[in-house]
Amino acid sequence: MKRTTAPLWLVAAVMLFSHPAIAPALARRSAPVSASEITVSAAISLKDGLDEIGKKYEGSHAGAKVVFNYGGSGTLRNQIEQGAPVDVFFSASEKDMDALNAKGMIQPGTRRNIVANTLVLIVPADRDSGIHGFADLAGAQVKTIAVGEPATVPAGMYAQQAFAALGLTAAVQGKLVLAKDVRQALTFVATSNADAGVVYSTDARTTNKVQVVATAPPSSHDPIVYPAAVLKIAHDAGAALALVTYFAADDAKAVFQKYGFTIPPN
Amino acid sequence: MGAELSMGLEVRIEMRLPDYDLRVSFQAGDAPLSILGPSAAGKTMTLRAIAGLERPSCGRIVLNGRVLFDSELRIDVPARRRRVAMLFQHYALFPHMTVAANIDFGLRALLPPERASRLERIISQTHLDGLQNRYPRELSGGEQQRVALARALVTEPEALLLDEPLSALDTHLRAQIEYELLQTFQAYRGATLLVTHNIAEAYRLGENLLVLSKGRIAAFGPKKEVFAHPASLEVARLTGCKNFSRARAIGPHEIEALDWGCRLRTVQVLPTVAAGGELRAGIRAHHISFMEAEATPAPSGAAAMPPENIFPAWLVRSSEAPFGVTLYLRLHAPSAGSPEYHLQAEVSQSDWRRMQDRPQPWQVSLPADSVFVMGE
Amino acid sequence: MDAISHHLSPLWISLATGVTATSITMIAGIAAAAWRQRRTGPLSPIIDAIFLLPLVLPPTVVGFALLLLFGRNGPLGKFLLGLGATVVFSWPATVIAAAVVSFPLMYLTSRAALDQVDPHFLQAARTLGATEWRIFRRVALPLAWPGVLAGTILSFARAMGEFGATLMLAGNIPGRTETIPIAIYFAVEADDLRAAVRWSAIEMGISFVLLAALYYWTRAAGRGVARWARS
Repeated sequence: MKRTTAPLWLVAAVMLFSHPAIAPALARRSAPVSASEITVSAAISLKDGLDEIGKKYEGSHAGAKVVFNYGGSGTLRNQIEQGAPVDVFFSASEKDMDALNAKGMIQPGTRRNIVANTLVLIVPADRDSGIHGFADLAGAQVKTIAVGEPATVPAGMYAQQAFAALGLTAAVQGKLVLAKDVRQALTFVATSNADAGVVYSTDARTTNKVQVVATAPPSSHDPIVYPAAVLKIAHDAGAALALVTYFAADDAKAVFQKYGFTIPPN
Repeated sequence: MGAELSMGLEVRIEMRLPDYDLRVSFQAGDAPLSILGPSAAGKTMTLRAIAGLERPSCGRIVLNGRVLFDSELRIDVPARRRRVAMLFQHYALFPHMTVAANIDFGLRALLPPERASRLERIISQTHLDGLQNRYPRELSGGEQQRVALARALVTEPEALLLDEPLSALDTHLRAQIEYELLQTFQAYRGATLLVTHNIAEAYRLGENLLVLSKGRIAAFGPKKEVFAHPASLEVARLTGCKNFSRARAIGPHEIEALDWGCRLRTVQVLPTVAAGGELRAGIRAHHISFMEAEATPAPSGAAAMPPENIFPAWLVRSSEAPFGVTLYLRLHAPSAGSPEYHLQAEVSQSDWRRMQDRPQPWQVSLPADSVFVMGE
Repeated sequence: MDAISHHLSPLWISLATGVTATSITMIAGIAAAAWRQRRTGPLSPIIDAIFLLPLVLPPTVVGFALLLLFGRNGPLGKFLLGLGATVVFSWPATVIAAAVVSFPLMYLTSRAALDQVDPHFLQAARTLGATEWRIFRRVALPLAWPGVLAGTILSFARAMGEFGATLMLAGNIPGRTETIPIAIYFAVEADDLRAAVRWSAIEMGISFVLLAALYYWTRAAGRGVARWARS
């Protein structure tokens, strides 16, 4: 038998570098950015609203170009901490913004809350699941509940808080399917692979494949506010701040409201 | 059982092969049949077709009245049911099994008591006592061959095929193993075929001989007959004859050997050839003898012919081998520096020692009963 | 959540998944190799390509294909639903994903190992009256064993490291489908580098043990039997 002569150390090195945890970290590289571009890392639940707002901004500010990078807020925060070239951070939780602030990465005086959201319980639209409220999640017919991964996805964190407030933590143990961001949780329910899910009401509106059966009482979780801020590493702080200000202005507000967001009292 | 066995093996097959087409037809009974031929003549293919390891393009194979293969009737019995055992050139002993397990491999269908007794018997018959728990890699070449033979025979097959049985052995072992094989053939009741490219082996181990060349049978019959009266130039060559000459018939037992420049008397009746067709004369190297006393040399081309085909010969060169000497001779005239010769003769070393200092020309005799004449 | 079981369970889940998936892959891989050895026809290159597909495709594509197959609207998914079973987001999904991605490795090494068995051994066995199944079990497979064993160990390693397809089909359900690679990924995302390093160390430890076993077993097995068989 032809004995493979690849030495042990070489094979170990290959395995090490292709390991799922190591490889992505090594693969993160900064993308080239052109001078007039503003890069915004934004929570994915803002996607539909921001895409429209971005176009409006470019339309009314000649020469401006806005690039959106969507994801779970925890993941986005991680990227920024690792040095990703982002100009503006628009998070779904104060927690992630606070963390960046504690590391001194936020430009002072540029942070403001832009929109707010509510948390809802959804089920697949294509079947009658017998779930009419959060309490039903304890039932035996509910096998899988899609939520964002609590440590990295604010929606997951809010869901966890809601479960705790409603006394359901033990009951949903072992049923939670953790998604990498809130839209993935939505998809799990929309494709009917999960029996239920907890997402933002704004997400639930984007598809008719899910049905909202309940809203989490606002007191059961931290206020869901979306802060935006300019980062210290922004290459054009002025332009970035102008964009953040625009997010809070009337034109943008109207778009956000159209998609179901609420405007928090300042 | 006796009546069945006397029917033996009948083979009539054709196989399309990349370099040539194989077409053979023969029978084999209790007497061992040697299949002799150069490499790539189709010998091993023939064995494999009989064993069921290759499928002929067409033909028929019958063993003791059982049809093993018939292309017209669409019969092709799988190898495992043919009851034909084969001894492979390099034995193919299962390396991960002991000697006992190897031999026992074909006995699966029997009950344990029968298996154990057959195993015991064959092991003592093939002198393998004490080696039952060894692995093939721990055995000598001769022992391995005995195991392969035991493994084949213990299933009591109806035919035994051997592919170059001695070629994998060291030379000094061959005589011993040859003897053991002959013993085995005697005891075994069933069609025996062996394939070899070694002329001496074919002659010693078989009783009948089949000469195969380029996929066709060149000769088939009792070995003595084939050797003494080769039917064609090719058969003579394949059976080791070294001396040939074009010839012309002069009388019923007289020919003129054109390449040797002499007339020869023959015992054999001359074969009939078409008008203008050529004959070939041949004589084996070891049949040429040297006369002790001086005899009158025959003038070349004279009408009178010496009774025992005696001619003067000069030595062109000699070649000593461990067990004999080959002499290259030129008839009628000395060699005068040219390397060309008429005849190759083989003598023993003792004869050579006696002869070598005798004055030349020597008187060589081509005995009439050793001269064979063939059509082309 | 029970902190202790949450901490240990990726290890147990990964091991259970790895062992189960490799058992399936071993049988399937050897069977496929034996079948392909026996039957070669005009479709052979296509069949080989299909067998090797999971090795060549990115794991996410494999995961997506499995999701289409086993999802509620997929052919197998619908069938299983009729029997009252769902595959997506269940532990068996981790086994399916791991088995599918490691199958090509098992198939390739088994093919190679079986191919290098001298055909004369098989022919001798045939003339001795053995059925094809007996020949495979008693002659071909034992002589191919070192290679087959190597394939099994490689498959196990691959099954233990499987991530992309598993995440797609089985999801991340702590205590049910959260394997070690998934735990590492989410730990890194959550900036819990201590957990990430801990799980990586465990994973690498398992890998080194497997490689060492592979090295020593194939040397020992290969030294004796197979090398002499070709002398």
